[in-house]
Amino acid sequence: MASVVLLPKQGNSVESCIIKAWLKKAGDTVKEGDGLCEVETDKATVEVPAPASGVLLAIFRPEGDDVPVQTSIAAIGNAGEDVSSLAPASTSGEGRGERSGDSAAGAAVSAPVAAVPVAAVATASDAGSSPRARALATERGVDVNALAGTGPNGLVVEADVRNAPALTPAAKATAGTGTVGTGIGGRVTAADRTAAAPAAESRPLTPLPSPASVPGSVTENPVKGIRKIIAERMRQSLTSSAQLTLHATAKAATLQAWRAKAKDKAELLGLPAVTVNDLVLFAVARTLAKHPALNAYWQGDKIVQHGSVHLGMAVDTERGLLVPVVRDCHAKTLAQISTDARALAKAAQAGKAGPDQLSGSTFSVTNVGALGIEYFTPVLNTPEVAILGVGAIGLKPYEGKNGVEFIPSMHLSLTIDHQALDGAPAARFLQALIQAIENIDVLLAA
Amino acid sequence: MPDFDLIVIGAGPGGYVAAERAGAAGLKVALIEREEHLGGVCLNWGCVPTKTLLASSKTYYTATHGEAYGVTAEGVKFHLDKAMARKKQVQDGLRTGIKGLMKKFKVEVIRGSATLTAKDTVQVGDRTITAKNILIATGSRPAKPPIPGIDLKHVVDSTGILDVSVLPKQLAIVGGGVIGLEFACFFAQVGVQVHVIEFLAEIAPSIDAEVAKTLRGELETKGVKFHLGHKVLKIEADAVVAQGTAPGAAEARIPADLVLVCTGRVPNSEGLGLEKLGIEVRRGAIAIDEQCRTNVPGIYAIGDVNAKSMLAHTASRQGEVAVNTILGQTDRMRYRAIPGVIYTSPEVAAVGLTEAQAAADGIPVEVVKWPFAANGRFLAEYSGKGFLKAVLHKQTHALLGVHAVGGPVSEMSFGWAAMIEAEFTVKEIKELVFPHPTVNEALRDAVFTMH
Repeated sequence: MASVVLLPKQGNSVESCIIKAWLKKAGDTVKEGDGLCEVETDKATVEVPAPASGVLLAIFRPEGDDVPVQTSIAAIGNAGEDVSSLAPASTSGEGRGERSGDSAAGAAVSAPVAAVPVAAVATASDAGSSPRARALATERGVDVNALAGTGPNGLVVEADVRNAPALTPAAKATAGTGTVGTGIGGRVTAADRTAAAPAAESRPLTPLPSPASVPGSVTENPVKGIRKIIAERMRQSLTSSAQLTLHATAKAATLQAWRAKAKDKAELLGLPAVTVNDLVLFAVARTLAKHPALNAYWQGDKIVQHGSVHLGMAVDTERGLLVPVVRDCHAKTLAQISTDARALAKAAQAGKAGPDQLSGSTFSVTNVGALGIEYFTPVLNTPEVAILGVGAIGLKPYEGKNGVEFIPSMHLSLTIDHQALDGAPAARFLQALIQAIENIDVLLAA
Repeated sequence: MPDFDLIVIGAGPGGYVAAERAGAAGLKVALIEREEHLGGVCLNWGCVPTKTLLASSKTYYTATHGEAYGVTAEGVKFHLDKAMARKKQVQDGLRTGIKGLMKKFKVEVIRGSATLTAKDTVQVGDRTITAKNILIATGSRPAKPPIPGIDLKHVVDSTGILDVSVLPKQLAIVGGGVIGLEFACFFAQVGVQVHVIEFLAEIAPSIDAEVAKTLRGELETKGVKFHLGHKVLKIEADAVVAQGTAPGAAEARIPADLVLVCTGRVPNSEGLGLEKLGIEVRRGAIAIDEQCRTNVPGIYAIGDVNAKSMLAHTASRQGEVAVNTILGQTDRMRYRAIPGVIYTSPEVAAVGLTEAQAAADGIPVEVVKWPFAANGRFLAEYSGKGFLKAVLHKQTHALLGVHAVGGPVSEMSFGWAAMIEAEFTVKEIKELVFPHPTVNEALRDAVFTMH
């Protein structure tokens, strides 16, 4: 008896994954636990293991498909078994871009609209809809049955309804699944429901020959995957918050001396090799515990302060910027933070960090000191209200008892969301953090 | 750094509205106009002057035809000079208004003829200006058909006729479209013998056939003579010679001391440098997409010059769509609910699909009709024939078109347009409350004939 391979859930927040590559092909013999394919969530690449041993009889979803979790993607069984009954009803696109069959004759506008009761034509989402989605759909005049659900197993959830354009009264009475609104205020019209394209005279304009404005060869890289996510998040961050960056310097001589000593003796004492960044994370965690206003989310109508400190840690990887999360830093020792941070950075760089390791931070730290940058303006990891940028340690002149002394100093840049918090409390946090860094040896004793 | 965010070429109802909207949104705008006054054909030789003249003519006609209402008057006279003076007064007021708007939104008005010399550069006289975006809104002009005798002194187009100082005795109008019909009504109501010569079998070919026929009947009762299915062969000093297009039809000699030729309008797309920039022009009209963009990035074309729908209000809306697109907002032009009006007495108004267009497009429709003879307000206040017809989708019962003739229907058409844009069905229309007594109620009564 053949069994289906379901795309496993990837943490709580992931609704779908893109199939990046099939590692096996139909007909291959696989052992339970073998990697079948690689899928990409919005943050990580994960291997889907074979749930059983046997022959990979069929692959239902091609590479590049965006597949909802808990959907069947393949079948494993004995050679020659019929798997047609295991194939999902719609094997690609899940309603997106698909048209009802009877408008295939072209000229969709002129095709008479079949007088089918609305309820009978609703097939776009097999998985149904949540009660909240249905309630909102009724309120907004949206056809819940025409939506491609993004919830578990393709369930239409409230957000899907919220993002869908409203239907005109005539569109509601029209069989069809189109959801691209060309009507007034973006409403979906009756023609939109059945048409493959807007009705108007559709001879396209003749494009001009592309001017060779930039001499020489070009390379085009499509924006997709992690790049696309980063682009959206960064733009969203800058358009939805009021970002203000404060710069300050912390004397780093004590920290450097402590770290040198710890590095020297780590092996001897069976401790992890602590980095400067680990020490900063530790100092941030301890300071944040006393400044909850910075360990918070801006949510428009409310500001949510978190009781725990989960530190997002920006990691530069081949695939782009990832921010794995060191959890519960407020309660962790320096050694624990250091061990976790090292493991997370390694996983992120290898593309093996899971979605749950890449979400849920309450405050983020980004460190470009190793690249010689002193000050910069970090972009908030919204909805977090603050992010700390750590710059290089360099010598800075101070007036001491014996004249000017050059003391190693760490450059710090704190960006806050001025919607949630003002400059003064942010400056007080930064001052407290500087104290913590300058007196890290004392803080470690606490 | 370009001199402007937007250069608008042409200050008609498309161009000046676009300039106003762009200026209001904070863009730095230049508006170029080659004529003496802002406002384009609409304000200077079209919509506005013809409506003021029609109002004078209607007032005269009412004063001399009040018997049925219990009113008679003696010594009523029509003074063409005073009507013309009032026309100018109305125009001057509106011209001042547009100037004020341009000032308010800091639009720089530049006088002269514009030529595009590069995709971001416009030459006006000896001035060269640049902009991120250019909007071509150069409008249209009356077509001049190749009729022998068209250059005779007593032959005018829709611009020239606004300057007549003496009423003709016999006016021949070549072309039974909207413009010709409005002038026919104006002159007939003040006692001029009017002949309308139309090549096709019915006047106003784009409107509903039954509406056109009813309008023709009403104008005939005012003394207008129609020569349908006639091709004009030549214009002579005292007559227009036309030939019936039906097999075996005779040649007709229509006496006229003034001839108005209004056989359509052609886009003003020449002399702008379009060819040099590679801007696509199809049969004289600039090709545009739903955002009124031409095929050259940064260059837009709105209004009559794109010939999509040669109406002032289409031009204004297209201007807004173009400006919204420039501002990065989502907007698109839709043509299915653009009201069309003939300002004759009685008026004609139409929005959306006619039965004939629906049949041609294969759209199944049901048509409901309501005669104004069954409308209280119409009977109380107006005379003559009139009716309203609603075209509904057979399956969805969505309102697709409304066509009406009689009384004051022009002022009702925006409501129909709103319902068509929103794709109201019979059910929603039945839920609307219409004021009573008004001619508006005809739509409600018409849809209630569907059960």
